[in-house]
Amino acid sequence: MTISWVQAALLGVMSVLAASTIAALGTTVGNYTLNRPLIASLFVGLIMGDVKGCIQVAIPMQIIYIALVTPGGTVAADLRAVSYIGIPLAYATCKSQGLELDSEAASGIAGALGAFVGTVGTVQFYGTAMANLIWQHIGWAELDKNNFKILTSVETWMPVISHIAISFIPVMLINRYGSQAVYTFREALPMDSWYMKALFTVGSLLPAVGMGILLNSVVTKPTDLIYFVFGFAIAKSMGLTLIAATAIGAVFALINFQMKLNSLGTKAGGAAAADDEEDI
Amino acid sequence: MSEKRVSKATLNKSFWRWFYGNLTCFTQEHMQTFGYMWSMLPIIQELYPTVEEQAEKLHTYYPFFNTEPQIGSIVVGITAGLEESRANGNAEIDDEMINGIRAGLMGPLAGIGDSLIVGTYIPILLGIALGLCDGGSPLGIFFYIIVWNATSIWFQKTIYNRGYALGGNAVEVIVGDRATALRESAVLLGQVIVGAMAASWVNITTSFNVAGVTLQDKLDGAFPGVLTMLFVLLCWWLMSKKKMSAVKVMLLMIVIAFVGVLLGFFDPGLSYGEDLNI
Repeated sequence: MTISWVQAALLGVMSVLAASTIAALGTTVGNYTLNRPLIASLFVGLIMGDVKGCIQVAIPMQIIYIALVTPGGTVAADLRAVSYIGIPLAYATCKSQGLELDSEAASGIAGALGAFVGTVGTVQFYGTAMANLIWQHIGWAELDKNNFKILTSVETWMPVISHIAISFIPVMLINRYGSQAVYTFREALPMDSWYMKALFTVGSLLPAVGMGILLNSVVTKPTDLIYFVFGFAIAKSMGLTLIAATAIGAVFALINFQMKLNSLGTKAGGAAAADDEEDI
Repeated sequence: MSEKRVSKATLNKSFWRWFYGNLTCFTQEHMQTFGYMWSMLPIIQELYPTVEEQAEKLHTYYPFFNTEPQIGSIVVGITAGLEESRANGNAEIDDEMINGIRAGLMGPLAGIGDSLIVGTYIPILLGIALGLCDGGSPLGIFFYIIVWNATSIWFQKTIYNRGYALGGNAVEVIVGDRATALRESAVLLGQVIVGAMAASWVNITTSFNVAGVTLQDKLDGAFPGVLTMLFVLLCWWLMSKKKMSAVKVMLLMIVIAFVGVLLGFFDPGLSYGEDLNI
């Protein structure tokens, strides 16, 4: 199966709407909804005409990037490329190689391909941030003349020009031409070759990086790792689901909160109890 | 002279401008500054009648601003409240005070937002969604779109209004002892969940065996999934203690994969399907 120009263009439009922190649809709807591979797979599926298949392909990709934290505007991988290049190409590859979409081999291909196109997204992120300097420059110049209306232009349609050049066009071209190249995979890249084995191993190792990023955002001192090991053990050894593990973790969190409050109470002589309803 | 009040409609406009535009024209140079100015403009225009005054007040928001933008909506709310107070002649509020509050809250809020919203809440929702999507059902996707957007918008709107109502007093609510205790407890929950997520979704196995004894069985006999856990801890250690970037850790994993396969430590044992439907 190949991706037509119309399909490729639609994927390009989606990548603009979903672009990472400079999203054309804002942070919450763009970056944290449409940008996530699992959510993107619904839209890619509608474009490609196979929602179920695209969701199956996207699941291993989502797991790799489950926790993409971008501290201080530095990104490891902008998911717009994983979502709107990685998913359609992985889907096309699996189809052209006759792989069952929920097989381990398909997961391996999806994971490995997602990891590689993730770097395209990183380039797109910094490229857009660079291009936006032009619009901000225009903005400062107009603000000096007390033309406040310029802010609306700088914040709405001007960055879209950056997106057309850096998201729309590359995503469209890579999908269109990439989908024609996937047919040669089977001959060029036999699965029992050492390099394909390595590629699949990459796909199984990368989720550990995502978890490492996540762990880094919640761990401040080495003893915190005990809670991580505890969570790992209850899920793996005791077979608890994620929601069940959340419930058990919540008990510990609540006990911890009560203990902290108690120690605050003794320190501040009950002053903390006075504003009990003050939460954020 | 009657007291000036920012109308509900204007506050709404300011909130939605921030919601949409906080990172729209992001650059590495000024980051969220333009989003901030665009959001404050309707408030300034309503409070101050002359263009000269408006230009002067907008100047307050020229300096660099960057935080986790969703939780950061509270800061925009706070400055909306402060600006209203300043327009009513509160002499304590000047550019320096407003920017002191903005600069003082950026860091702590980014920490809270990154670890709790992006690092814990979103992965939990995605985790539930992944479970619901098992086998290719879109149910989990609908679940995520609705629950994430509804709760996130409600949260952002609430803290914006809270910030507006409290003005400068909001600072204590955010960085006070109680808030710190709550945050630390929520982070503890996050630590347990990350462990459970690693166990559920990462699966690293070795094919290494000596004289019929497979290493994987021995390891799992001691602590199920211990190899997976060690790899996650290795990635964490490299990033937190060795200060390696996530990109470098990814590259290192690629090297480990290649070397591991050549040494016979890793072997995914996959093959292409037989039925080609080209």
